Amino acid sequence: MEQVKDKKFGMVIDLDKCTGCGSCMVACMSENNVPFREDETDKLLSVAWMRVYKMTNRKPYPDTEVCYFPRPCMHCEGQHSGHSPCVSVCPAVATDYSTATGIVSQIYTRCFGCRYCMAACPYHARVFNWFDPVWPHGMEKSLSPDVSVRMRGVVEKCSFCYHRYQKAMEKAYVDGRKELEENEYQTSCTQACPAGAITFGDLNNTHHEVYKIAQPDHKHHGKSKNPKVFRLLERLGTNPKVYYLSSRKWVRQLGDNYRPDEIMK
Amino acid sequence: MSTLDDQAKESTDEAAVESTEAIQDNGTGGYIILFFILGFIASLLVGWIAFPMALYSKKEQPVAFNHALHMDEVENGCESCHFFRDDGSYSGVPKLEQCIECHEEVQGDNENEAHFVSEYVEKEREVPWLIYSKQPDCVFFSHAAHVLKAKMDCVTCHGPVGEMESLPVYEENRITGYSREVWGKNIAGLKKNSWDRMKMDDCADCHKESNNKVTSVQTEKDACFVCHK
Amino acid sequence: MSFLSFAVGGAAGTALTPMPLKLMDDSSIWTQMWPWIPVPQDGEVSYENSVCTLCPGHCGITVKKVENRVVKIEGMKGHPVNDGGICLLGLAGVQLLYGSRRVKTPLKKVNGKFVKISWDEAVTEVASTIETMREKGDAHKIGCLSGTNRGTVPELLKRLLWVCGSLNFFHMPSVQDSYEITLRMMQGGSAMAGFDLENSDHVISFGSGILDGWGSPVRMFRAHSLWREKGARFIQVESRLSNTAAKADKWVPVNPGTEGALALGIAAVIIDESLYKTDFVDNYSSGFDSWKRQVTNNYTPEIVSKITGVDKSLILLTARDFGRAKNPLALCGRGEGSIPGSIKDFKAVHALNALVGNINQQGGVWAIPEPDYINWPEPTLDEAASAGVSKGRIDGAGKGKYRLAQSLFNRLPEIVNSKASSPPDVLFVSGANPLYTIPDTVAMNEALNNVKIISFSSYMDETADKADLILPNHVFLERYEDVPASAGLNQPITGLSKPVVSPQFNTRHVGDVIIQVAKKLGGHIGDAFPWSDYKTCLEETLGDKWEALNQTGFVTEADFNPTNDMSGFKTDSGRFEFLENGSVAEVLFSSVKPEGDEASYPLTLVPFDSMRLTGGYIGNPPYLMKTVEDTVLKGNDVLVEVNPKTASKYKLADGEKAFLMTPKGKACVKIYHYEGIKPGLIGLARGLGHNVNDRFLAGKGVNVNQLMGSKEDTGSGLDAAWGIRAKLVKA
Repeated sequence: MEQVKDKKFGMVIDLDKCTGCGSCMVACMSENNVPFREDETDKLLSVAWMRVYKMTNRKPYPDTEVCYFPRPCMHCEGQHSGHSPCVSVCPAVATDYSTATGIVSQIYTRCFGCRYCMAACPYHARVFNWFDPVWPHGMEKSLSPDVSVRMRGVVEKCSFCYHRYQKAMEKAYVDGRKELEENEYQTSCTQACPAGAITFGDLNNTHHEVYKIAQPDHKHHGKSKNPKVFRLLERLGTNPKVYYLSSRKWVRQLGDNYRPDEIMK
Repeated sequence: MSTLDDQAKESTDEAAVESTEAIQDNGTGGYIILFFILGFIASLLVGWIAFPMALYSKKEQPVAFNHALHMDEVENGCESCHFFRDDGSYSGVPKLEQCIECHEEVQGDNENEAHFVSEYVEKEREVPWLIYSKQPDCVFFSHAAHVLKAKMDCVTCHGPVGEMESLPVYEENRITGYSREVWGKNIAGLKKNSWDRMKMDDCADCHKESNNKVTSVQTEKDACFVCHK
Repeated sequence: MSFLSFAVGGAAGTALTPMPLKLMDDSSIWTQMWPWIPVPQDGEVSYENSVCTLCPGHCGITVKKVENRVVKIEGMKGHPVNDGGICLLGLAGVQLLYGSRRVKTPLKKVNGKFVKISWDEAVTEVASTIETMREKGDAHKIGCLSGTNRGTVPELLKRLLWVCGSLNFFHMPSVQDSYEITLRMMQGGSAMAGFDLENSDHVISFGSGILDGWGSPVRMFRAHSLWREKGARFIQVESRLSNTAAKADKWVPVNPGTEGALALGIAAVIIDESLYKTDFVDNYSSGFDSWKRQVTNNYTPEIVSKITGVDKSLILLTARDFGRAKNPLALCGRGEGSIPGSIKDFKAVHALNALVGNINQQGGVWAIPEPDYINWPEPTLDEAASAGVSKGRIDGAGKGKYRLAQSLFNRLPEIVNSKASSPPDVLFVSGANPLYTIPDTVAMNEALNNVKIISFSSYMDETADKADLILPNHVFLERYEDVPASAGLNQPITGLSKPVVSPQFNTRHVGDVIIQVAKKLGGHIGDAFPWSDYKTCLEETLGDKWEALNQTGFVTEADFNPTNDMSGFKTDSGRFEFLENGSVAEVLFSSVKPEGDEASYPLTLVPFDSMRLTGGYIGNPPYLMKTVEDTVLKGNDVLVEVNPKTASKYKLADGEKAFLMTPKGKACVKIYHYEGIKPGLIGLARGLGHNVNDRFLAGKGVNVNQLMGSKEDTGSGLDAAWGIRAKLVKA
C-alpha cells in the first residue's frame, strides 16, 4: 500500500501572547470529556490535561513579573524514536508512541493504574483518576462520542486531540485525499485560544507555521534554532514536541534547571 | 501453603508406592477412572454446549428485515442505505428518516412492512435495531479508512449480509452485552471466513497482513491510537 | 474419593473447553464498562452559528451538536468580534444549558417555599399583580431590572412598564454607562464608545482589565496579540499586578483610585512639552485654554507623583511616550468594568485622548451610533398609565444632579431608607442577579425585603431564590434574541442568538411571557403588543436584517468609518468640550475616598477580576471552577492577596487563616503572600461566595460584594467605589 509521510505533530506556545486566561484548559475539558468534582482546588487530584501554571520572577514589588505556562502533554520523542519517559516504563502497553504521528497515546481500558508513567513524566502531564467520573443528572448529554469516558483507576493525559486527526483523515478520505491541510487538524486548545498564542502542526513539514517558529533541528533531537524558543527541561533529553516562545530572558531560563553561573551569562 | 504442599507430596509418594496394589486390591481404581471420565465428559458438555447456550440470550430484531429484497430494489448497493456523510463519518444503520423516503406508506402486501409502518413510521419512533457489530466505547473504527482508503468491501468484515433474506437472531452476551458476532459463532473462537469474528486480534492480524507500516514503538504493530480512542 | 476424581475430571475437561478463555475475555470487557460510566451516543455531527450572550462581548459561536445534543461550543470563524477564538466562559456554556442550576418550571413561593405552577397560572399571576397595582394607583411602583438596556427584550420590558404606567426600568450599570455619559458631556449626543485598538500603536490603560474581561474579552486578547506582533506598546496603570499588568510592556503601580490624576499629570506634561495635536485642539475643541490652565497648574508631575505614588521620572517618561506615539489610545474603567466608576476619571482619560487628537481617528476612540432598528409606534396610555408615568422615576435618573444617568439601581437602598420617594412594590428581574453582583449586598437585600420580586431567571441564583415568582427564561442556546452591539467594538454590529436545541425544560421565552401578560391585561396594554409571539416581533422589528442574521448570525455596517469626521460633535458648541459648559471652577480630579476610617481600618480592600471567575449574574460553571488557581481558592477558603511586607507587619504567615473586616462585613479568609500587590492593599477575587443550589459553586469563598460598600459618584450618581477600608486580624 502507498505510504504517507511520517508526521511529527507539535506545538509552539507564544508566552508573550498567552494571557493566562485559561480558555485552553476549558476547551480541552469540553472536547475530551474531562470530569469535574465538587472540590477542584487540590490540584494533585484535579484531572486536567492542559494546565496553566503561573510563574513569577520572584522579585519583590514593584519589580515583580508574572508569566503563564500552559502545559499540555509534551509528547516526548526521547533520544531515539519513541523512547519517551512514560512509554518506556509502562508495563501494560497502555501508553505508546506512534512513529507515524509522534503522538504518545494512552489507552484507558488497557491501563491498570500502576502510575509508573506518572512517576516517570517530568512534566506532571499525567493524572490519575482517583474517583469515578460523575456527571450531574442531565449533563452527560454534553459528552462527546469522539473520546471515551475514563473510569476510576486509570491514568489519562493530553492526546493532542488525536480524535480530531482521525476525523480529519476521514474527511480527507471522502474527498479522495490521503494528506491533510495544515488547518484541518488543530487541537481544541489551539482552536479556542482567544489570544492565538498556540500554533499546532507538523514539525516535519517545513511549510507549517509551527516548523517556521520552532525551527526544530532534527539532527539535535529537535532543539530549536530560534533563540527565543525553548523547551521545558530541554537538558533532560526528553525531546518534547511542545515548544515555548518568549522574548523575556527570565522566562526562558525558567524552562530548565540552570546553575547560577549559567544564568549570569 | 507449606502444609498443604507437604501433604500433597506425602500422598503422591504413597500413591506411587501403593498404586499397583491399590488398583488390584480393593477395586476402587475403576471408580476413580469412571468418575474421572464422567466429570471429564460432563464438563466438556457444559463447556461446549451448555455454556454457550447459557451465555447468550436470544433476541429478535424489532422488525423482520430482508436485506436481499432491498438490494434488488436499490441502485447503489450497500451505500444506498449505509452511506458516508460529507464529513467522512459513517451513517451506520439507517435512521427512520431514511426509511421514510420509501416507506412513508405501505408499499406492498408484506406483513412485516405493514408492521414497520404502523409501529414506527406512523408513530415517528426510531427502530431500536440491535447492532451485531457494535464495539466497546474504547474502539475507534473508521469506515472511511477501510472502505475508501484501503478499498475493502463490506463483505470482508460483515459477511454476505446483502444476500440475507432475514436477519439472524441476535444473541446477546449476558456478561458484556455485546453481540455473539463479535466473538464469533464458534465458541472456540475459530473462524473460517474473514467476517466470522470482530475481536481486536482480528483487526490486528489484518493490519499486519496488509503490510501496514509498523508505527507502534511498544508493540511493533500499528500504533494503539489507530483503533482506540 | 469419587467426587474428587469427578472434580479432577471436570477440571481437566473444562480446560479443554473454550469456557475459561471466553469467561476471562468477557469479564475483562465487563470490568471496562461499569454501568455508572456514561457512554456518549454517536450520531450525525452538525454545527450551528449563534451569538454568545453570557457577557457584553457578544462573540460569535459555532455550536457543535451530535444529533440533538450540544457537545461543544466553539468560536465562530470570520466573526468580527472573535474570529474563531472563544473565552472559557463561552466554552463552558454547555454546562449552563445542561447544568443542575436551571429553574425547570415556573415556581411560586408559598409560605417561604417554592411550589411548581403551570405557565397559565404564572402568566395570570403576573397579570393580576400588575392589575392590582394599577387599580391601587400604584402603577409607578412597578419596576424592572434588566441585565442590559439594549435589544428587543429590554425594550419589551420597558414598553410593558410604560403602558402599565411606570418609567422605572433599570439596567445593570457598567463602565459602558460611564463612557456613554462621558461622550454625552464631551462630544454630545448619545453614542457608545468604540476603540480602534487594532490600529493603535501605544495603548495606556488606566486600571482597565483589558486582559481580565474588560470590553469584549476575546477581541481584547486578539488586539493584544496584534500589538505583540506589530510592536505596539501597552502600558498598564494599576495598583495590582493583574493578568493585564503582567502582560503589559510597562506596569505603572499607582495608588488605587488615583488613576484619573495620573491621566491629568500625563496631560500636563504633554501640554508642557507641546506634544499635543494643535490641529484638533485649535479647530475642533472648546474650553481648552481654561482646561489647560487648570491641568498645568494643578497637575504638575510633582503634585501628581505625590497623589499617585508614581515616580516623577516615570510620569514624564510615560507622558512623552504617549505624546510621541503615532496613534496613542488611553482606556478607562477598572477591572472588567462591572463598577461604573467616577465620571471625573473618564473625563480625564477622554480629555487625554482628545489632547493627542485621537477622537474619531485611526487607532483612537470612536463614537459608535446606538442601534436604531427598534422603531415601534408609541403606545397610547390609559388613565392609570398616564397617572403613573407622570410620577417619573424613583431613582431620579435623567433629572437634576442625576441628569446624565439613565438608571441608578445602586441608589435603591438609599431610596428605601430615606423614604424620599416611594420604592418599588413589584420588581421584575431579567438577566440580572443584583443580590450577588451589586456591592453592599446586605443593604440591597434589605432594600428588597418588602418588594415582590418576579424573576425571569433561567438559573436559581441569589435573586431568584428571594423571588416570589420565577418564570424561567430559555437559556441562550434555546432562544432567539437580537444582540445589539459588542462592548467597545469599533463598529456597529447586530447579532442574532438562535435556538440550537429545543428547550430542555418547561421554560418559556421572556419575550413571549411579556406579550402573553400584555394580552391578558388587554385594553391599551394588549394593543401595545400587536405581535402574536416574540419571534414574530423580532422578525418584524429586524425587518430586512432578519434573513442575513439568520444565515450568518451577525450584520455589520461595512462602510462605517468615522475617521477624520469631526462634524459629529453634537455639543452646543459643535466642538469637543474639554470642560462641560466651559465651567472654569470645575475640579478636574477628586479622589473617591474608600469608605471607612483609616485608624480602625489601616488597609484597603480592592476586588479584582479574573477571566477564570465570572463576577456577573451567571456564576462559574463547573469547568470554570476547575481553572480557579489554588492561590485564589483552596477547599472552601478564599485566599486574599497581601504583599509580604504588609503581611509581616501584621504577622500573617502565608496560608494562615485570618478575619477580613470592613465597615460592611467580616469574612474568614486565608492569607496569600503576593509580591505583585501594592503594600497596604488586600486583593480579593470577585465571583466567589455564591449561595445557590449548585454544589460545584455554592459555599466556596466569599462574595466580595458583601464586604464592599457603594459610593455615589457626584458627577453621575453611579457607583464609583473601587475599594473599601479593611483590616486583617489573625483568626
